[in-house]
Amino acid sequence: MNTQDVEMNRSKAVTKVAQQANYKNFKKAMTIVLFIAPALLVYVVYVLYPILATSIYSFYSWDGTSNKTFIGLQNYIQLFNDAIFWTSLTNNFWVVFTSVFVQIPLGLIMALMLFAPIKGLRFFNSVYFLPFLMSTVAVGLLWVFLFDPIDGIINQLITFFGFQNVEWLSNENTAMFAILLVVVWQFAPFYMILFKAAIVGISDDLYEAAQIDGANALHKFFHITLPLLVPTIVTSSILAIVGSLKAFDIFYIMTGGGPNHATELMGTYMFKQAFINFNMGYASAIAFVMFLIALIVTVIIQVIDYSRKKKGAYS
Amino acid sequence: MKKVMALLISFSMLLLAACSGGSNQEISSGGSESSNNDSSSVDEKVIEFWHFATGEREALLEEATQKFEEENPGVKVNVLRMPNDAYKQKLSVAMAGGNPPDVFQSWGGGWLRHFVDQGNVLDITDKVDKDHYLELALNNGTFDEKVYGVPLGLALDVVFYNNEIFEEHGLEEPKTYEEFTEVIKTLKENNVIPIALTNQSKWPGSYYLMNFASRIAGPDLFDSAFHRKGRGFDDPAYVEAGRYIQDLVKMEAFNPGFNGIPYDEGRGRQLLYSGQAAMINIQSSFLNNVRLEAPEFEEKLDFFLFPSVPEGKGDQTQVGGSTGPVWSVYSKSEHPDLAAEFIKALTSKELAQKYTETGALTGIKGVVPNDEFVKKFYDVAQHASHIQMPYDQTLPPELAELHKDTTQALFGLSMTPEEAAEKMEERAKEFLD
Repeated sequence: MNTQDVEMNRSKAVTKVAQQANYKNFKKAMTIVLFIAPALLVYVVYVLYPILATSIYSFYSWDGTSNKTFIGLQNYIQLFNDAIFWTSLTNNFWVVFTSVFVQIPLGLIMALMLFAPIKGLRFFNSVYFLPFLMSTVAVGLLWVFLFDPIDGIINQLITFFGFQNVEWLSNENTAMFAILLVVVWQFAPFYMILFKAAIVGISDDLYEAAQIDGANALHKFFHITLPLLVPTIVTSSILAIVGSLKAFDIFYIMTGGGPNHATELMGTYMFKQAFINFNMGYASAIAFVMFLIALIVTVIIQVIDYSRKKKGAYS
Repeated sequence: MKKVMALLISFSMLLLAACSGGSNQEISSGGSESSNNDSSSVDEKVIEFWHFATGEREALLEEATQKFEEENPGVKVNVLRMPNDAYKQKLSVAMAGGNPPDVFQSWGGGWLRHFVDQGNVLDITDKVDKDHYLELALNNGTFDEKVYGVPLGLALDVVFYNNEIFEEHGLEEPKTYEEFTEVIKTLKENNVIPIALTNQSKWPGSYYLMNFASRIAGPDLFDSAFHRKGRGFDDPAYVEAGRYIQDLVKMEAFNPGFNGIPYDEGRGRQLLYSGQAAMINIQSSFLNNVRLEAPEFEEKLDFFLFPSVPEGKGDQTQVGGSTGPVWSVYSKSEHPDLAAEFIKALTSKELAQKYTETGALTGIKGVVPNDEFVKKFYDVAQHASHIQMPYDQTLPPELAELHKDTTQALFGLSMTPEEAAEKMEERAKEFLD
């Protein structure tokens, strides 16, 4: 056997190995693709395609069934000059604000209370969680009756304390506040559960060590519990913000966006434009703006969270 | 082997995912395709039928449906009933999504017209006998001389009141606005809510604008504004009507918080039944609600027509009214002839006669109600010089919505009558000119 043959053989073997490796990689990729295919397909058909379709419809004047007419950016121009749209955007902002700065802290407080050494914990646990289990339609109707302007329980209560009856849902100044109260009541338990799960996951060793170092309860909370909950807070914030931007049902049931658009949200306004006024194109433009806002906000939060992780702070 | 399994599994998942979208459609139209292995359902023809009638009326429709099924063997009618406000949305969504029922209910007018313009409603001119119906009622489902909907019911717009409360405080049915305000003042002094109003639904308040406008300028005003024949929605009469409304609001003629109370849930009707409120301006079909929800209240129930206003051109012989149910057929129905037969059965003279017993008039000729109370409505209709169909059912949907929104804002005192009228006219120019 001369050296040439050896060389040949070696290079053959090398290419064979490379080929085999390629084939293996390909097979691996195929397996991965096959495994994600079902979910991916559902995602493309039910998420990506509708978003794309919505953005296309938003450039048309269309009533939902008959012919579409291409009108370029006309829908968006009209949208940004539409006072009702700006009202609904502001209202959406309020929903986001209360969700993040009232609901989440409240959920945290409720979760902490469930770790306190008090009697009847299981009872409180169920009671706190109850509102979240009820269907939104039922919650909406229930509170419409509670807020009844003539003899609802809430008004009876405040007259008992010597105040005047308040027309909660029909007064433009109080309607938004009244519904936000219900939103907080309904969704704070959801964050409570998230926080509860996260707190359970924190190791007791940390608290013990802190105890030895002479930390009091406040110290423990601010230096152990809270920092370790940051990832949960970030997730909750994303859920709360995106959820608030898409809010619809409770507002639709309790006021229908009224009176005089005082509780109009982008969601309810979009629904009205689409299915009451039959302006599918215009409604699509609203929907697409909603999507963009939610997307941008999510990206911002993710970026902030990413840089926080990079710095290595806690987590 | 493992690979094959994985492939099989993911493939079957794909199939599942792909199928789930269309399966609904297949179930609803399954009867007509003969590839079904269940032989009994092969020749069964299914008609989907949606309506929003309540109480005795629902029972009557149920009865008529059963009779129709008996007379047409092999035909199955699937009935779906839902509340008024929900119905409007569900049907619109179904029309836009392309799977509406074969037979559906509407009020005629602009709302139906919208679906007609989309090409979703079957032209039934040749399938029905025009002479069977009252012309005035049939007109509401007729566009460009083609019939798209046939009316079963006809309702009037009146002011109901509790005669026990009126007697107790020595009050009489007011004929003029002045007398009306006197009644309101007396009731207020005696701690009775003068008028019940549930204006979250927006249409109950709209009656006041329509009635005041008609009393101020006569019944031609709306026609002229709608058909762009000289007058507009910013006509001084509309501004004045807005002022009358705000006048009533300011004297606290209505229950507090009216703009936040929905109609369907019944809070407003409850106020009347319990004697907390004395009057309500609403359709005559309110009687049907009373019979269903508080039968004992009927003894105390009476009505008068909307009062006239000082120096108004209109008078009390001009009443508001509306057709409904109006039955129509979906244009792409698989059994159009059968569906047309069905809506004929739903407007038969026999059914109409029974329908009057539920507190309504009918759109069918020659049906005189036996019911004492309904006879009173019948007399009003017989003597009416003009019947005004509600704006929100006549105008195109977007304008109708604006009309209701601005009227609600008038009631909420958050818009001046001038602003409201101007907004309406601005939009009307866009849609109607």
